Amino acid sequence: MDENEAFEYVKSTLKKEKITPYHSDELEIVKSIGACINCGLCINHCPVVASVGLDRFSGPRSIAVELSRSPPEFWATADKVYLCTGCGTCREVCPKNVNIPEIVNIVRANIFEHRPDLVPKGLMIVKEIIEEHNLAFEPWEDKEEKEESRDMRLERLGIPYIPDVVKENAEVLFYPGCQAEERAQEVREAAKAILDYFDVDYTLLDEFSCCSLPSHLMGDAKTARNLAHQLKGKVKKLGVKKVVTTCAGCTSNLADLSVRDEWGAPAYHLLEYLVEEIGFEKLADALKKVAKPNDVHVSVHDPCHLIRHTSRQVMEHALNILRLMPGVRVTESVEHDNCCGGGGMVSFHASEVANSVVQENMMALEKTGAERLVTPCPLCTAQIENNLFKSGSSIEVDDLTVFIAQRLPKKE
Amino acid sequence: MTDSKFDVVVIGGGSTGTAVARDCAMRGLRTLLLERDDIASATVGTCAGMISSGLKYRDEPDIMKMCSTEVVYWNHIARHIVMKNPILAPLLDLSDAASDSSYMESYSEHVEERDVPAMMFLTPDATLEIEPMLHPEIIASVYYEEYFIDPFRLCLLQALDARNHGAEIRTYCEVIDFEINDKQEIEGVIFYNRVFGTTERVTTKLVVNAAGPWAHKVAKSAKEELHIRLNKGAHVIFDRRIVNTGITVKAMDGRWVYLFPHENTTLLGTTALDTWEDPDTLVASFDEIEYLLQSMETVLPSIREARIIRTMTGVRPLVPDFKVPERNVTRGYRIVDHGENDGTKGLLSFLGGKLVTCRHMAEAVTDLVCEKLGKDIACTTHEKPLPGNEDDVDIIALSKEYDISLHALERMRARRGTEMLKVLEMTKEHPEWKTTICTCEPIIEAEIRLSIREEFPQTLNDLRRRLRLGTGPCQGTFCTYKAASILSEELGLAGDDFLVDILDFRAERWKGIRQSMRGEQLAQEELAQGMYACVGNLDQSDVDYDLKPWEEGH
Repeated sequence: MDENEAFEYVKSTLKKEKITPYHSDELEIVKSIGACINCGLCINHCPVVASVGLDRFSGPRSIAVELSRSPPEFWATADKVYLCTGCGTCREVCPKNVNIPEIVNIVRANIFEHRPDLVPKGLMIVKEIIEEHNLAFEPWEDKEEKEESRDMRLERLGIPYIPDVVKENAEVLFYPGCQAEERAQEVREAAKAILDYFDVDYTLLDEFSCCSLPSHLMGDAKTARNLAHQLKGKVKKLGVKKVVTTCAGCTSNLADLSVRDEWGAPAYHLLEYLVEEIGFEKLADALKKVAKPNDVHVSVHDPCHLIRHTSRQVMEHALNILRLMPGVRVTESVEHDNCCGGGGMVSFHASEVANSVVQENMMALEKTGAERLVTPCPLCTAQIENNLFKSGSSIEVDDLTVFIAQRLPKKE
Repeated sequence: MTDSKFDVVVIGGGSTGTAVARDCAMRGLRTLLLERDDIASATVGTCAGMISSGLKYRDEPDIMKMCSTEVVYWNHIARHIVMKNPILAPLLDLSDAASDSSYMESYSEHVEERDVPAMMFLTPDATLEIEPMLHPEIIASVYYEEYFIDPFRLCLLQALDARNHGAEIRTYCEVIDFEINDKQEIEGVIFYNRVFGTTERVTTKLVVNAAGPWAHKVAKSAKEELHIRLNKGAHVIFDRRIVNTGITVKAMDGRWVYLFPHENTTLLGTTALDTWEDPDTLVASFDEIEYLLQSMETVLPSIREARIIRTMTGVRPLVPDFKVPERNVTRGYRIVDHGENDGTKGLLSFLGGKLVTCRHMAEAVTDLVCEKLGKDIACTTHEKPLPGNEDDVDIIALSKEYDISLHALERMRARRGTEMLKVLEMTKEHPEWKTTICTCEPIIEAEIRLSIREEFPQTLNDLRRRLRLGTGPCQGTFCTYKAASILSEELGLAGDDFLVDILDFRAERWKGIRQSMRGEQLAQEELAQGMYACVGNLDQSDVDYDLKPWEEGH
């Protein structure tokens, strides 16, 4: 056997033994798990454990000390690891900084490769959509219908329509994310309106493609790496200096990828961009120009992918922007930073778990007396909005980008 | 004193002793096994579990052939506790490659029957893709495969199977004397029951001394002199599988050392030092730990950053070949028939041997026993499966049926195979016994209760050997009290016995933890100390407990 045949043979043995060698960029994550001292602090903070109990989801501690110790047995964690919403609360409270959310993705990747039969069906449906369309959601069949839907939303929300721009060497790439691209189109349009208002030199992608986070979260490591590679190519080709997005998940993922794959263009959430690049002064000037703003009492939800996977500062920016808005009163909910339950792809296959997690947020929200909830993530928006609607609550939910766009004056 | 009659008494509950008891019982002999401590509580309990192809012993082709045949048998009779490890031997310079060619040839002679490939070379790129932690400047690697068995379960299953075939298994019974008549024939064995503090006697004409590193001491009770070469071996244990495959490398003194994923941990071993110390109190030395780490560091530079949870140390009972290094001592075994040389008739002592050949050793000595008893009964130990090996287990279906997590069931399957159904059956009447007791392994309460009822443990340490209780990263920080209360309830232990057993269990964990304590394990020990001293007040307990030799004094 020559060396190449030997390597092929070894790979087939590893496959039989259900071993996927750790990739070199995963070694830090694996090492961090070795620091777990089984103290159990995370269990008391895990939102999934709190809402469905330890029998259903054995919690982050069990992932560290039990489920992630032996790759050949990763397949046997399939009844637990897909229930992690990846919110990162465990990592935040952990005295040893054990990187549970990322080891979950490594374990899921092993199951995806060796026992695809054990991957929840709901995730396999998403996988097929991504494979076919490079998007996490089934795209509109009829372009005209999609535009009609967009225009109806814009009209209802009072947001101006700005035509799409695609050009090379713009300062900023605006990356809406799959949800805003195909579902919550008002978020995409609102961001464009904001960027346009402040005269930002921006471009969209010629052909939008997924940032790879859903593939990464479901364990489809190969597709995740392909999508990341594809996107890097597009960013490089456009020659932009910065990437701005309105999705919390995209923010953290693009920020990670931009470092890992050396894009040379940092990624921002629109809120960060507004505060750091436009500045409070300009923002305040603009927001005060609105003639007769309606008084509105809001509360805020912090997306996990911003506060725990990016930086808690992003939500401080959000609150500071809201404080600049005339007529807006903010009451903080005690559960403002509790996971909405929709993360980690959980809402795609175990909606009962996701919907159970969000109950905490809803109860705390009712107590604030707020009439509206704003959050800078279209996925959190959808998850909370659906559940509030089902419970018969009168509280409305807005994506924060939309809320900001609505309160900007007409451009002179 | 009780008095009963046996065809044969086997001394020692290690891999050899339990294999002998099984073989004798399966051939219909009235068999008694006496073990001074617990099953697999010494040498075999500190080995890496490799059922080796014998590639280190290329100068002994017969041994290599025997090893290979035995591996095939293990895969037939105990596949539920056998795992395969792919292994890389990375090479840093060409001289390494040249010196290895004879290994490669001899290893490859018997590969077909073991269903593994011949040794092969891999490029540096391929090697680093398989194990990215390896030294970036390796020039190639040699790839091969070996099989591993759970040594604790193997011994226990052999003992249980022996019992199923009518043998009596007595743990905590230490042989203290033999009755020998004027014709120098053995007539009886006298032993001390350490649980009840009584002396007992049984009648037998034949004794198989499989006491491993104590074989010469047992022989001495019959006034026989038995030479043996005792050799210490230490392992360093990591908290999880830290490598994708096994790694072997030549140590600084030219011996081979290895890093093997084992169950849900990784073992780094081993050392080889001639020893005259008491095997019961032996601990790994700083030199041994450094020898292992520094040797492995040459190819795996980050090994020291991984989390070491403990060390384990055992003694090899080698045949008395002296004036040669340990690695040149035969790995074959000898059966000393003391009666053949004008010594005690009916006493047969084992020297040497390996885990992988324990069944073969048992077959040989049982043939001899049968011959002496004038019986001609064929050996079937290589054909009939050990308990639990009978069939495949559908973990996914069982998880649905019993509402227990897949992983808990898969770990249970790795210990029990089809016999796990007995545990699950218990949860029908007692659903509350699905509670996880040991979180690292994991182990549910029902399995602890079943083990106590059917696998004759007396202590928490015995439960550890049967179930891997307290062997994970937290080293029993959270399971000790819970398991102790179950043990006390099942065995009716009084309050003081309960505390002493907890202290014994903690002491035994400490024995391995203390030597290698560093890095992340320090944080774990702080937490364990908080649990047992600050919360449990165990350090202030006034129960009658003698500190172990390795525990620091007041």
